[in-house]
Amino acid sequence: MKPVRSYLLALIATCASAFGQSESRLLLERLALAESDAYPAILEDLSNTGDSYISEFVDAWRVGEVYSHETESGDKLILVQVSEKFIRLTSGETMTLSEEEKESLEKNRPSRSLRRELKRITDTIDLSSPDADTRIAAALKLGLSQNLEYLKALEKRILLEESSRVVRGFEEAIAISLLANAGDASVLRDSIQRLGELKSLPSRDGIASILKGAEESGDAELARVCLTALGKIDGHQKVVENLGNLVRGFSLGSVLLIVAFGLAITFGLMGVINMAHGEFIAIGAYTCYQMNVVFERLFGAQSAAYQWFFWVSLPLCFLVAAAVGFALEKGLFRYLYKRPLESLLATWGLSMIFQQCFRLVFGAANVQVDTPQLLIGNFDLGGVSLSYTRVFIVAFAGIVILMTWILLSKTNLGLYIRAVMQNRQMASSLGIPVSRVNSITFAYGCGLAALAGAALSQIGNVGPSMGQAYIVDSFMVVVVGGVGNLLGAGISAMGIGTVDQFLQPMLGPVMGKILVFFAIILFLQWKPGGLFPARSRSMED
Amino acid sequence: MIRVPTEKHTPLVLSVEGVTKSFDGFKAINDLNFYLKGGELRTVIGPNGAGKSTFMDLITARTKPDQGKILYHLDSGEDVDLTRVREHDVSQLGIGRKFQNPTVYRSHTVYDNLKLSLSGERSVLSSLFYKESATDRDKIHDVLDTIRLADYEDCLAGSLSHGQKQWLEIGMLLAQDPKIMLVDEPAAGMSDEETERTGELLLSLEGKHSLIVIEHDMEFVRQIARRVTVLHQGHVLKEGAFEFVKSDPEVVEVYLGRQTRNH
Amino acid sequence: MKAFESNLEYKAFLTIAVVLVFCIPILNAVVPEGSFLHVSSFQLSLWGKYITYAVLAMSLNFLWGYTGLLCLCQSLFFALGAYAFGMYLMLHVGVDSVYNTALPDFMDFQGYTELPVYWAPFENGGFALLAAMIVPGMVAFIFGYLAFSSRIKGVYFSILTQALTYALMLLFFKNNLELFGQSFILFGGNNGLTDFKEIFGSKVDAQSTQIALFVASSVLMLGVYLLIAWLLTTKFGKVQQAIRDSENRVRFSGYSTTSYKLLIFVGSAMIAGMAGALYVPQVGGINANEMTPAKSLDVVVWVALGGRGTKFGPILGAIVVSMIKSYTTRAYPDSWLIILGLIFVLVVLFMPNGLIGLPDQLKPVFERFRKRSIAKGDVTENRA
Repeated sequence: MKPVRSYLLALIATCASAFGQSESRLLLERLALAESDAYPAILEDLSNTGDSYISEFVDAWRVGEVYSHETESGDKLILVQVSEKFIRLTSGETMTLSEEEKESLEKNRPSRSLRRELKRITDTIDLSSPDADTRIAAALKLGLSQNLEYLKALEKRILLEESSRVVRGFEEAIAISLLANAGDASVLRDSIQRLGELKSLPSRDGIASILKGAEESGDAELARVCLTALGKIDGHQKVVENLGNLVRGFSLGSVLLIVAFGLAITFGLMGVINMAHGEFIAIGAYTCYQMNVVFERLFGAQSAAYQWFFWVSLPLCFLVAAAVGFALEKGLFRYLYKRPLESLLATWGLSMIFQQCFRLVFGAANVQVDTPQLLIGNFDLGGVSLSYTRVFIVAFAGIVILMTWILLSKTNLGLYIRAVMQNRQMASSLGIPVSRVNSITFAYGCGLAALAGAALSQIGNVGPSMGQAYIVDSFMVVVVGGVGNLLGAGISAMGIGTVDQFLQPMLGPVMGKILVFFAIILFLQWKPGGLFPARSRSMED
Repeated sequence: MIRVPTEKHTPLVLSVEGVTKSFDGFKAINDLNFYLKGGELRTVIGPNGAGKSTFMDLITARTKPDQGKILYHLDSGEDVDLTRVREHDVSQLGIGRKFQNPTVYRSHTVYDNLKLSLSGERSVLSSLFYKESATDRDKIHDVLDTIRLADYEDCLAGSLSHGQKQWLEIGMLLAQDPKIMLVDEPAAGMSDEETERTGELLLSLEGKHSLIVIEHDMEFVRQIARRVTVLHQGHVLKEGAFEFVKSDPEVVEVYLGRQTRNH
Repeated sequence: MKAFESNLEYKAFLTIAVVLVFCIPILNAVVPEGSFLHVSSFQLSLWGKYITYAVLAMSLNFLWGYTGLLCLCQSLFFALGAYAFGMYLMLHVGVDSVYNTALPDFMDFQGYTELPVYWAPFENGGFALLAAMIVPGMVAFIFGYLAFSSRIKGVYFSILTQALTYALMLLFFKNNLELFGQSFILFGGNNGLTDFKEIFGSKVDAQSTQIALFVASSVLMLGVYLLIAWLLTTKFGKVQQAIRDSENRVRFSGYSTTSYKLLIFVGSAMIAGMAGALYVPQVGGINANEMTPAKSLDVVVWVALGGRGTKFGPILGAIVVSMIKSYTTRAYPDSWLIILGLIFVLVVLFMPNGLIGLPDQLKPVFERFRKRSIAKGDVTENRA
């Protein structure tokens, strides 16, 4: 029953809006041809249609792209000039006109008073838009203008509203407008109170200035009302900010986590500190960039296929980085096993070589990677808007971690990896192909970094030294989590990411970073081995 | 069954009472009681994972117990609670420890290795203005003779054989002039001849120092054993003369039985 | 002298000292330009800069080569010293600046009309020189105390020192610090401190000043060399190297390794700070770019290439790498970083003892080669 009903409702809505549109076009034509005494009635009807085409037409009308045309039968039509073509207003069809007819066209322009009337309509037209979000946004905009004229429009339209969400938006807009337009003190107090109840963030400044005025004039009653409302609004604002920080922190933490996972695996497995790990992030990001360029060249930026570039680059950047990592493990890293300090230096050198190569190939400046249509936009969670990219990154990290966990705990390779991590010699004497396990694991770690890079290409800059910005943080994650411990890495990545995002708005990005760093140092006073210290029986650990 | 020593004529130097230590829920040491007399040579044996190394870590304040107390009895009659002492102060109190793997200063000569271990002031300032005295030199040469490395005094410690490194480390302990020496597997990785000499060395120290020797090699234990403590699951299983312990069915079950089968 | 291991070392030291302190200045000041023996002022200040780098490398070697602490914030200490003395120089630019006030330009630009309290003491040159040692020393003390007392060592120590560098670098890149609702002006942000005019009453770019700075750097280098050489002969130096070999043994021998390491760390930071103080007037400026983690790793490669744990290696490494750098950045600017990166990789893989250790390392290879060629000769002779 239910699906059918909603289908029918949708159908009716579509018809209504289609009808509304053609109706508005008819009204516009009548308006353009009418005498001034007929205006008020037509305008009234027009303002009720809520069709956004009206603004479009009014713009064309104002700049002189609207013509009246007298047909042979003596009917008068209104044509709109779009580039070189003439379109009939009411039907939207293109008219083919002879040269003579073109000559006879008469420019149609609204009078000054009509233009004023039209502006009022176009300003308020979105209030009757079929889309609820547009209606709310328009109402708030008008409310914030605190224009008495619009207040009347708002008060009139709110009566017609049915959706409670939209009614709230209108109430907020009206109350904000009333802050400036309230005739008497009690109305003002009521609207301030109402704004407080609505936790209206946009009204904050207005109320604050009223509070100031009230304090100066000694209006204690008004000041009290203002204070209560501000308290409610600020509380709400804090919630909104904190939620936003939490999400940003989680997405940053997710990226750190993917990066730190690779680091933790390589360090735990082979005792190699890979300072070039950050450059694998850049490899991932540049792969996305390259795919973006290739897709644009092949399909053009407007095509549907172009949207696929990001999804194609995800597996590709993993493979590219893993291949590079595999080759490097064979050529360099296997000489560095269990020599963390030496490996730190050699890989630093490697990272410089990589960065310079990026600079030579892609240029020193940052490049831009497009965001696929699917990830553009926000969704609203109780007044907090979350961008799809951020949410995508958190989800993406979840999937990557899940896959890593499955790899480590459910597959033979994972079993081997864990065996080699615990005791290289024993594993080798049990017939585990240690060197192959090393290469594959290392390649996997590099692939993870590249995936992090792909994710970063959607929220940050892509440049030759982008890896450096994250590598310090990722090492902190590894140190705090306990070396080679994946659960520890997970907890500390989320912790550091979130603390970072909470401190930044309070202290600024630099002091935030410094404070996080000192917090880590102090944390290590308390737990020198990190959250989950690796236990070793040897004396020189 | 805990035997508190009844012969009171030699004073105790170390009492470990009711000590428990667990790692991630696993009880490495479980209600351990242990007493050591002055000048005694005690051998501690036990299967892998019996908690021998943790036991040493506890005495040297490397790890702190969850429960119980570890008292070190000074000659003056005072007791020091070793659970409240910092790691580097333990040796100043007169407790020296030899690690399982020989740890010596590889890039110093044998002589310098011993010089750094000589008892005396340890502060930064004193080390800056330290002048080697004739007594120090004599002391170092005594130790060199004792550990039979007199011919190697100018060699880099890193170039010594494994057995020689073990001796050097014992020598470094001796240079500290400790009251208690903790010696972890001194015979590991040694030839038979070296093992025997190590045994002689340890026996010669009996009476001058109190020794706790942890060992796996049963032949070696037989050579040096006076009183033997058997650890099992972090707890003292048996304690007594080697012959007595060796024939105890419980001990044979957990430890000797397996050893004899292996041999 | 007690500090020298051999007579050869003693003589080499004296020769280098005479060359640096007497010969080169004379060749610059007395020998006329155009003469074959003349040392140009450009060369003089270039080598003055290299010598401060050499001191920086020695300070790291003291820490890494002899104690085993790979510190990745040595350039931070260097830069802090440079900033401390740079503040003095900045305050003596005088009114002949863009804004024609006694204040440094960047303060005028930010609308300051008087000197912040924490800048004021730096008008005194002696104080600034002292601060160039004390400030890095304090930073090292605080960080070192926390790190060493919680037994952070090995690669964790390196990672944390790198993070420290990173954090302070971010701070120095800023113009202002907003704290507790107040704004504090920092040290010139991106541009740093530059355009110096006067140093202790004489012009910074005068020839006599340049010579004095060169001699001062040389004396500092020679002094630090002597200090380190002497320390290595003391028991302190032996404990230091023992910590590198086996820290646990040292601790169980009753030494508080924490206080030894702390003193070494602080001392090394102070030496680096002094080098920085002499660097800044010779180069003519300091900015936060000198604080990037990469700069500290450059110092590590100087030491590694020259030969860590040797007295002369770091000096050699610093000068060789700096010379390669100044040549390559001019001739092949795009490839400098690749070359530097390769030096890192190759030194680690093939030259564990650096340039100093290279002859010893090559000896067996050379011998084998000779033996083989002799053997070959035998074979041909037999055939003949």
